[in-house]
Amino acid sequence: MGLPADRRSRRALLSGLGLLALAAVAVAVSLNTGTISLSPAAVWRTLAGGGTAEESLILFQYRLPRILVTMLAGIGLGVAGAVFQGASRNSLADPGLLGINAGAALGLIVFVSFFRTMDGPVSLLIPAFAFIGGTAAAVLVFLLSYERGRGLLPIQLILTGISIEAGLSAMTLFLSLRLDPDTYAFTARWLAGSVWGRDWIHVWTLLPWIAVLVPCIYMASRTLDSFSFGDDLAKGLGSRVGRSRLLLLAAAVALSCASAAMAGGIGFIGLAAPHIARQLAGPRHRHFLPLTALVGLVILVCADTIGRSLFQPSPVPAGVVAAALGGPYFLYLLFRPKK
Amino acid sequence: MLKKAVPFLSLLLAFILLTACGQNAANEPASSPSPSASPAAAGRIASMSIHITNNLLALGLTPAGSVVGGDVKDFLPHVKDRLEGVQKLGVVTEPDMEAVLALKPDSIFIDETYSGPDLAKFEQIAPTVSINPDKGTWKDHLRELAGHVGRQQQAEDFILDYDKQKDEVGALIKSRLGADAKVMAVRMTAKELRVMGMKRPVGPLLYDDLGLQPADGVEKIDKAYEVISQEVLPDFDADAILVIVSKGSEAKKNYGLLESNPLWKSLKAVQNKHVYVLDGQKWLDYSSLGHKMALDDAAKLFAE
Repeated sequence: MGLPADRRSRRALLSGLGLLALAAVAVAVSLNTGTISLSPAAVWRTLAGGGTAEESLILFQYRLPRILVTMLAGIGLGVAGAVFQGASRNSLADPGLLGINAGAALGLIVFVSFFRTMDGPVSLLIPAFAFIGGTAAAVLVFLLSYERGRGLLPIQLILTGISIEAGLSAMTLFLSLRLDPDTYAFTARWLAGSVWGRDWIHVWTLLPWIAVLVPCIYMASRTLDSFSFGDDLAKGLGSRVGRSRLLLLAAAVALSCASAAMAGGIGFIGLAAPHIARQLAGPRHRHFLPLTALVGLVILVCADTIGRSLFQPSPVPAGVVAAALGGPYFLYLLFRPKK
Repeated sequence: MLKKAVPFLSLLLAFILLTACGQNAANEPASSPSPSASPAAAGRIASMSIHITNNLLALGLTPAGSVVGGDVKDFLPHVKDRLEGVQKLGVVTEPDMEAVLALKPDSIFIDETYSGPDLAKFEQIAPTVSINPDKGTWKDHLRELAGHVGRQQQAEDFILDYDKQKDEVGALIKSRLGADAKVMAVRMTAKELRVMGMKRPVGPLLYDDLGLQPADGVEKIDKAYEVISQEVLPDFDADAILVIVSKGSEAKKNYGLLESNPLWKSLKAVQNKHVYVLDGQKWLDYSSLGHKMALDDAAKLFAE
């Protein structure tokens, strides 16, 4: 890893361009995929505004919103994972480990168990409940791993996260056993990570979170880097460790909760995307954070496209596809030849 | 590097194959819709509810496309043979909008409970009629539907036939069980034992249409069903028990366990051999056709 800084930047830039091309291909393929086949030419024509009424309906009402939600959620989950890993100095941290997915799932279950008759648009109530559940779980984990005078303790964070997650999952399981089969089927799909937000309203709800928080986190790249030296050294370098860690983690929690609310409990991306990006661009956040966002986007878009096209008529949730593709990847990481 | 890549790729392949398992069976080519579709008067119909599909069948119409049952991911077993060549449009909770669009229907019928919020989306494809299953009985739903497709006469004929048959079957059951026999219907699922209450799908059919006497306490279950524990079965003091066993091996196993339970064996209905296992799908299908098939099932069970 002893590359000079400018070479590393160039490498990050090149990988970034490569990933951007890959993302463009993934999105294009995804736009072409569906029950009705549209030729790539027809897709372009329609995007440019020249399609038939039917083509515009398919593209703008059915496919585009879902793909945009998938892209945004992929970015959100990937970047949030990178922040969790950086701020907790644990390369195995991901939103799932901090109890966020479990909290979001509990929020969903609480909604379908007790609040189904509540007035209001269901399409927004579900994300709201999932978001609140995830945030509440994260706040609980933070409170329990906060020690006066020393701030948030990284290792404590992970351990507390795991136990809170176990507790929340148990409650979710208990409540889900009492659901009727139809509701249970929906919930089970959600828990497995199915992109269910498919309307423009979901795009507009998710977009602000990603558009505001991701740039903020990127601007804090240097702070994230400094965490890796350990708290004492970071303090010596001028970081206000406790406060900035809390702010960054809060931003990451908001990102992953917003993403999970639209795309369900997809666990794998927050873990894998930062790892892949670091392999491509080295350990500095300034370099690998943008790549993480792109990798997250590519994984989730591919997983969702595969899940909904290959397995008709009962589409497989994107989370399942991502995990099925990701499991072997991690085995590969474990067993690959050490340099 | 390459050597390591081989086991990695084979693992990957294994995972993909595993996830694909069990999904392939139901694959259906997205072919052109059925040639036996409905006559010109009603046009090509897309039915977004399995109950509306069955009501259409009762009117002698075959929809061009229909959603499938969420549980079986296919058309319901008791009407499957009548829906050959009909385009599958996904599950009611997750309709395949592109398939609906590809069908180019002249009209779409949706279930207000499930698809009501998406009415505008369906309207973009074709004129859409929303039917509220919580308003009125299946007869009202059938008449409403018939009005939209211009088949009022068929609806009245169907209802007339049904009313005649229900009186016959009701009399048949009473001749077997005695005029004041108290009846209950239970359903064994993979998770629990349920007593079917006074509300649809089963209650109105048994206690209104067939005129049977609900067993003690059943009349208080003012909903579709209530989950009970096996110990309270004797409290219902039923003269006859109708049993629905849910799909799947778990439910079947549970019913086997119940049957060998001494408590069950000591029930009045069991001792007098008045336990009848129903063809569940027909009884749980709250549609005109489902009800008619349930009557046929009852006639067969009690004729023996």
